[in-house]
Amino acid sequence: MGRRRRRQPDPADAARALPEAIAALSRTLPAAPSPEIFRRAKFDRPEAAPALWRLLFHVLSPLSADSASVSFTLEAQVRWVKSVLHSQGYPRLALVQLQDDGSQGGRELLLALAWLLARGPLPERLLTQSHVRLGDEMPVCECEALASPGPPAPRVEAEGSVDIRHLQWLMGKLQLRWRNLMAGQQEQCALLGKIHSYTRGCHSDRSLGHLSVTETELLRDPEGGRQLLQRLETENARLEAALEWRHRELVFWRWMDTVLDTCPLEASPPTFLPRIPEPGAGAAGLPVRELQALQEELQALQEELRKAVEARRAAWQAAVGGHGPEWRAARRALQVAVAQDLAALQWAWEQGKGQARPHGPRRLVRTEARVPGRLGLWATEATEALRAREACLEAMLHQLQGQCRQELARLVGVRPGLIWVPPPAR
Amino acid sequence: MLPAECSRRLVAELRDALDSCAELQRQLEQSLRVSRRLLRAWEPAETPAPEPTPGPEINEEAPSSACPPSPQDLKELELLTQALEKAVRVRKGLSKAGEGVKAHSLKSGSTSPATRASAPPSTSHCAGSCAPGTKPPRGIRHPWVPAKDLPGRRLLLVGDGAHMGKGAGANKPEAGLRDQQIIPQAAPPVPEAFTLKDKGALLRLPEAFRKAASRNARLWAQLSSMQTGDSVDAAAATAKTQFLQKMQTAAGQPGSRLSSAEVGRLQKACSLLRLRMREELTADPKDWTQEYRSLLTLEGLQALVGQCLHRLQELRSVVEQPQGPWPEGPPRAASPCGGGADPMWSPQLLLYSSTEELQTLAALRLRVAMLDQQVHLEKVLPDSGAWVTVCSGGVGHGEDSRLSLLVQPPRSTREGVDEGTCECAGALGGGGGTGAWCLDSCPRLGPLKCTRPP
Repeated sequence: MGRRRRRQPDPADAARALPEAIAALSRTLPAAPSPEIFRRAKFDRPEAAPALWRLLFHVLSPLSADSASVSFTLEAQVRWVKSVLHSQGYPRLALVQLQDDGSQGGRELLLALAWLLARGPLPERLLTQSHVRLGDEMPVCECEALASPGPPAPRVEAEGSVDIRHLQWLMGKLQLRWRNLMAGQQEQCALLGKIHSYTRGCHSDRSLGHLSVTETELLRDPEGGRQLLQRLETENARLEAALEWRHRELVFWRWMDTVLDTCPLEASPPTFLPRIPEPGAGAAGLPVRELQALQEELQALQEELRKAVEARRAAWQAAVGGHGPEWRAARRALQVAVAQDLAALQWAWEQGKGQARPHGPRRLVRTEARVPGRLGLWATEATEALRAREACLEAMLHQLQGQCRQELARLVGVRPGLIWVPPPAR
Repeated sequence: MLPAECSRRLVAELRDALDSCAELQRQLEQSLRVSRRLLRAWEPAETPAPEPTPGPEINEEAPSSACPPSPQDLKELELLTQALEKAVRVRKGLSKAGEGVKAHSLKSGSTSPATRASAPPSTSHCAGSCAPGTKPPRGIRHPWVPAKDLPGRRLLLVGDGAHMGKGAGANKPEAGLRDQQIIPQAAPPVPEAFTLKDKGALLRLPEAFRKAASRNARLWAQLSSMQTGDSVDAAAATAKTQFLQKMQTAAGQPGSRLSSAEVGRLQKACSLLRLRMREELTADPKDWTQEYRSLLTLEGLQALVGQCLHRLQELRSVVEQPQGPWPEGPPRAASPCGGGADPMWSPQLLLYSSTEELQTLAALRLRVAMLDQQVHLEKVLPDSGAWVTVCSGGVGHGEDSRLSLLVQPPRSTREGVDEGTCECAGALGGGGGTGAWCLDSCPRLGPLKCTRPP
């Protein structure tokens, strides 16, 4: 053992703890600057600012961060980071008052990073986003299968009105694209099925049994395989750093307290606005349109419920006469049950965990039917869940179309000149 | 013609929809390219060393369950292993001499017993493409050589004895060669093209990769288990909460502000409530308890919707005041699975037992996505003032879809418009016998045709 046995905390260890914690953080975050930059940021050194702006940009952008960083200038990144932080509710005004050229504000940026780290498991979330997928993945949760198009490219909109033929053409094109997608998807599934069955028994992991396309591809193409291995090892290094960070982070938070203390207290919000917000935009960066759409959806829902409730209440009142005293007790029980039910429903969206099962794409595994003890979601069950959603969407669509048809019927009745050619009855 | 603003909105939405589809298509095509390539014969340069292979001939098509090797097989295996070890030694020397030499030229250049060129041309033909300029390769099967020491070669491992018995048999006529293949020296080293179908079961993942993959899984498991707190975690959690509070108070900004998270929650609430309402409305109550329960549920849902609306209106009143100097940024592309996503990856499997199952699931997924898009389009249009209403005839599997488009004049001008002004109706007909009513151009007004809705 020797003299190094610690009877009390070695001060040298305490001095080392912070740099090691920051080093771990720097190793686990993507595109993070060196630990030295963090230290300089506390003292608001100018060289720290650009590096931290870039780090925040990487941390906040979803996926495809690498390509995005290339196409955005530092100034664009700065503005984007400010906007995103605002939409997440970042409290400090000092951030937005920093210059757009990204040359100042190291300390403020350090606080912003710490704020993000404190709010949720940021390193883990980033690692999940960039996780090297080794299997053939298919998402089956009920989230959208289509990515939203992202920042819309600035389009040259035609001035004046649009030819209806153009609209027809666009719709036809959309139909065609869906059809192609469906056909392509079916082929891909067939190919996957073959690859999975041809490689059965090859995988070292018995629970998987066969190779995935990624794994088979790495066997076919050694160079690609090497790159995959490299990515995997990079991820492993980041994972280890994340674990280390979790062990050491306490000392980091104590340090951040001191950083915050060195900042001057912010004045109350300025009375003048350095920049007029654009019209048509909510403060959260959400277009007013989206909020309006949500409101209308909720109102439509409310209306539908109102009608349904009215009808059923009336029917119920008419029929309720014949129930005896035991009815009251039963009624009580039902009220309690329903209240619990609805509370659970409310909890589902309050907590942000709508699904019973975890989200995200799942690795496809071909296996004998119904072997007991397999942990995983069966395709048949997933199909069931999707059918329910399909039915719901179809009902919604028919309802919307019905509303439109009613409107048209009204109009056609009013204006004989209006031509309406409905689709042939199916 | 259509009025400018709302038709532009419609065009923009349609273009967005088209872009989303195009992105999906792009990803799909990439996957298809890779999969198709894997199922074709693999390039000869990539096939493993042309090591001789004795071993039991098995003619099964599909890699089925392993047959236990017979004693003779084991003896042959032993011979093979010795030959292979020797070959590896020779190979080492060769690979140092020159990298990237094609396998078949290796054969001609070397003197190792494994690469003797004296093999008689076979009567069989190889399953895939042959390397140009070689003799017709024999229909041999070869195990994978431990090639750790050969950079640039595929890293494959020899299967152990149990696996030797497995594997798709070569379905080429090989009968005449079987005897000759017992002795390692007899096999010519000409590389036969590898196909997944025949030899997929013989593949093995390289050691380095397996190690990295299992370490990866282990690290993720460790990270996941850290989330379920321990004492270190608790201290850190309190430190974080305190830090956040301090940030908030130091800022001097009003606490409540609309955040996209809140709106996201409300959107989620809306869809959950709607889903639940549908369930209740489509359910068939069998007795009075069920009826009553259904009624209570609907009333409860109504109350919840009211609460959500109230909250939304509260937030909107805050939002729409000029809020501050924050710049407008580009809308963030929503990450798939949005806010409800698990922050931590964990291995989740989707198990399927037949290709049909998989295809059904995939097709259904696409259909749901498409319906989602259609509903969105359907909602967007009336938004712009009930000018253009799209009645979609529904899209079915494999059927011709029909979209009919009716353009109606805006409410504000309806009363004043008479037959002399431009009022047009266009219909987009799909295929299949509906062509008669497809109008190519905006008809001038006048009662060309007057149909009443059904």
